Amino acid sequence: MADEAIIGNADQLRAVLAAAGASGAWDWDIVRDRLTVDARFAELYGLGADAADQPLPTAAFFRAIHPEDRARIRIAVAGMLAGSEFFSKEFRIIAPDGAILWMHGRGRSQLDDQDEPIRFTGLLVDVTDRKRTEERLRIAQSAGGIGTFEYRDGFATVSVSSEFCRLLGLHPADRLPVRTINAVVCEDEEPLIPEDGAEPASIDSVFRIRRSDDGADRWIARRGEAMRDSEGSGYRLLGVIYDVTDAKLQETRLRELNDTLEQRVAQEIDERLRAEDALRQAQKMEAVGQLTGGIAHDFNNLLTIITGSVDMALRRLDNSADPRVGRALDNAMRGAERAAALTQRLLAFSRRQPLDPRAVEVPRLLAGMSDLLTRTITEAVAIAIEAPDDVWTIEADPHQLENAILNLAVNARDAMPQGGSLTIAAGNRQVAAHQSDESHVSPGDYVAITVSDNGTGMDADTLTKVFDPFFTTKEVGKGTGLGLSMVYGFAKQSGGSVLIDSALGEGTTVTLLLMRSVQSAEPPADAMDEREPFGSASETILVVEDDDDVRAYTVGTLRELGYRVVEAHDGASALALLDKQDQPIKLLITDVVMPRMSGSELAAAARARQPRLRILYTSGYPRDAIMRDGRLDSGVELLAKPFTFRSLAERVREIIDKG
Amino acid sequence: MITGHVALSELEQDALTEIVNIGVSRAASSLRKMIGDQVVLSVPSVEVVSQRRAARLISEREVVDLIAVRQDFSGPFCGRALLIFPETNSLELVRAVTGGALSAEEAVEMEQEALAETGNIILNSCLATMANMLKRSLSMTIPEVLRGNGATLFEIDETTGSEGLVLFLYIDFAVRQRDIRGYIAMLMDIPSLATLKQLLDEFISRIVGEDG
Amino acid sequence: MPVTVLIVDDSKLARIVAGKALAELQPDWQKIEAGSGAQALELLGKERIEVALIDFNMTEQDGLELAGEIRALRPDMPIAIITANIQDEIIAQARAIGAAFIAKPVTSEGLAGFLTGAALKLRSSQE
Repeated sequence: MADEAIIGNADQLRAVLAAAGASGAWDWDIVRDRLTVDARFAELYGLGADAADQPLPTAAFFRAIHPEDRARIRIAVAGMLAGSEFFSKEFRIIAPDGAILWMHGRGRSQLDDQDEPIRFTGLLVDVTDRKRTEERLRIAQSAGGIGTFEYRDGFATVSVSSEFCRLLGLHPADRLPVRTINAVVCEDEEPLIPEDGAEPASIDSVFRIRRSDDGADRWIARRGEAMRDSEGSGYRLLGVIYDVTDAKLQETRLRELNDTLEQRVAQEIDERLRAEDALRQAQKMEAVGQLTGGIAHDFNNLLTIITGSVDMALRRLDNSADPRVGRALDNAMRGAERAAALTQRLLAFSRRQPLDPRAVEVPRLLAGMSDLLTRTITEAVAIAIEAPDDVWTIEADPHQLENAILNLAVNARDAMPQGGSLTIAAGNRQVAAHQSDESHVSPGDYVAITVSDNGTGMDADTLTKVFDPFFTTKEVGKGTGLGLSMVYGFAKQSGGSVLIDSALGEGTTVTLLLMRSVQSAEPPADAMDEREPFGSASETILVVEDDDDVRAYTVGTLRELGYRVVEAHDGASALALLDKQDQPIKLLITDVVMPRMSGSELAAAARARQPRLRILYTSGYPRDAIMRDGRLDSGVELLAKPFTFRSLAERVREIIDKG
Repeated sequence: MITGHVALSELEQDALTEIVNIGVSRAASSLRKMIGDQVVLSVPSVEVVSQRRAARLISEREVVDLIAVRQDFSGPFCGRALLIFPETNSLELVRAVTGGALSAEEAVEMEQEALAETGNIILNSCLATMANMLKRSLSMTIPEVLRGNGATLFEIDETTGSEGLVLFLYIDFAVRQRDIRGYIAMLMDIPSLATLKQLLDEFISRIVGEDG
Repeated sequence: MPVTVLIVDDSKLARIVAGKALAELQPDWQKIEAGSGAQALELLGKERIEVALIDFNMTEQDGLELAGEIRALRPDMPIAIITANIQDEIIAQARAIGAAFIAKPVTSEGLAGFLTGAALKLRSSQE
């Protein structure tokens, strides 16, 4: 027999075994406590060629085992000697040449009738190459997130890699029941592992699964091959799975992106149109502002002359004159005053009015306005002022603020022709970062002054235009259309905002947001003397004004008040006068806007010559020349045109007296 | 294997696996004698897990209803041992262990009792062998037959927040000639685990002592 | 006269298995079954019983206790403790009361030694 021939030749057997990867065999006689090994085993262990097939002490079994693996193998062998049936361990041995080799030892025990082990025999197989390959494969699998599986048709379990388990969120195992694997696949998907015995048409497929451990929905791709080991045998499925969720999501997102493209373009265009509208509106306001500012400047000069002259004429009128002349002059004065008020509003709207902000206590300001309000508002309208004392102090120009509130009150009155109630309330409001957009202000502490009525209200269309200059809902001749735009300009210039809330038939609420001030309010000024304060000839005032009429009026007024006055029509001649004056100039009154040298340039030059010189600007159109951020520099005095005899007299006296 | 309380070193885990191996080898041999067929065992898996996780490990592997024979043990370490298999395997197992001695009707009648005795033999031989290896004695309760899913077998109340840690150990067995497969599972309380660790160290020093 | 063997086990299956092994080894011997310790003691009072095979793991009274009681009544009776609980301690306890130890599942090989010994003992005491 051929078999016998091979077995008969031990050398040949060893060669075959070595070629097959079998590296050695042992037989451990438990009863006699002796170990017998073959030549290959003896060679690997460095026991010497003559040790083969000779009884050896059993301790020889452990001699070549790597120290790090020795305890583990001793425990496993102890198990075999105590009744374990199978031995299957991988461990390292150190060969006589110092090489470290990975061995797979497989063995089994032989039991007697009483289940007592009597022999432990096994085979050592050199698996060093396989270990390296396995290591490479393991790294490739975990690095690539690829799980492998092998399924034989008809088996209830599948042999899987740990990465396979991880991808499906299953507890790591070498074998998993088919049911366990297919249970993670979402319903209405085909099973990951075929269950019906039919060979799947295609192994390449994508499955939606719900991971078993964390319940996450994932997409898993399956790739592989079905093979048959022999004719008539069932198929064997060898494949890999990997997570394709990210790719799937991207695909979905891309599709959604495509689907909503038109909608998003329309939305984008819409937004752009809105932004353009807003920009156009802002540009319109700016243009109108420049125009009105320019007009107001010239207008104020004219009004100064008119009111000044009428004032002068009235004061010079003696009792014997025709009373009609007096009445006519009074009318002229009222007309001029109205014109001045209008000009003031134009300036306020164009945000070019000079503001003189100071700390203001709103409750006190509102209390002071109650007389004025009752006089302005008809009796049919009930006025309520709600301003608790704990309202924060704000910083604003109190006169302009009064003006704004009055404007709003008048608007409210006009919205309630049949009467109703008007509420003016003040309260604290904190604007958080996320509210700052809707409030049109930067986040911070504000005082909100609300003026509400229960009148006719406005529709949405009207609401979009209320801040436009010259827009009015009132009958022709009743309103200027500058009220709300002036309030808006004032609020913006003061670093605040105006919000308006209204609906047809529901009344209107206008809210003025003004920033909280860190300073406390100044005590109110003492009531002024009824009489104009006069000057004396020892007090010399230099008046610089390019408009001859205005200059003539100003000079005339000051002389009438008793001051000594010198005059100049521009900066250069003013400086020349300053230089040659034997009597010191107490006060320089100069226009702000003048050709060649502006008021502030003149002031600077004059101060260089005479550091303690007081300066009072007069202006109908003060621009950046003297203002910073729409507010006056500290220490700079300004008298707005048109000014009256009295306002000029008081202001001049006050400044000179300050010392 | 690290837990809040007790960590088994790699060597201790090897030793425990080996002791379990010996125990289940003995159990498998008992089963083999009872049914006269080859019994195949897997390598035992030993882990420290929460009770709930242990239940999940079992139910994850079996979608069908389970039947189990349960025996509690106490001594220097205590816990619970279970012989678990799919309920559909139950009658087949009863037929196998009773051999030709019973009619089909009698087999059905005796199912519960036969399962209890089978479990008794398998779990006892396993636990007793382990106790002998560790040189300690354990006392064991009378076996009890239970039906249900993983959670009911381990008596896990899904609503309680406390998740007791257990040493969970399981091993698959299958009878080739018949369609019978199942698991032997063992749960040990963590306080017992500290003692077990000590016993394992003694075992290791007995075995490895001379050269480490 | 055939020998009568008392098989005490609360499991019917276990009694069947032990009975089968007994029948293979000593076809002429008779068996009497008891499902508990109490039943066993009752039968001992009524029947002529020469050998006892006792399960260790029983609900009411464990096999070692029962064996101890029987030993007190019948100092010479061959008794075997049958159990899968093969702990060294149980084996030692069985020995201490003069009982043999047989591992479950009971096979004819496992039972043979004890029965041979019992037969010899019974013959010598009869002589």
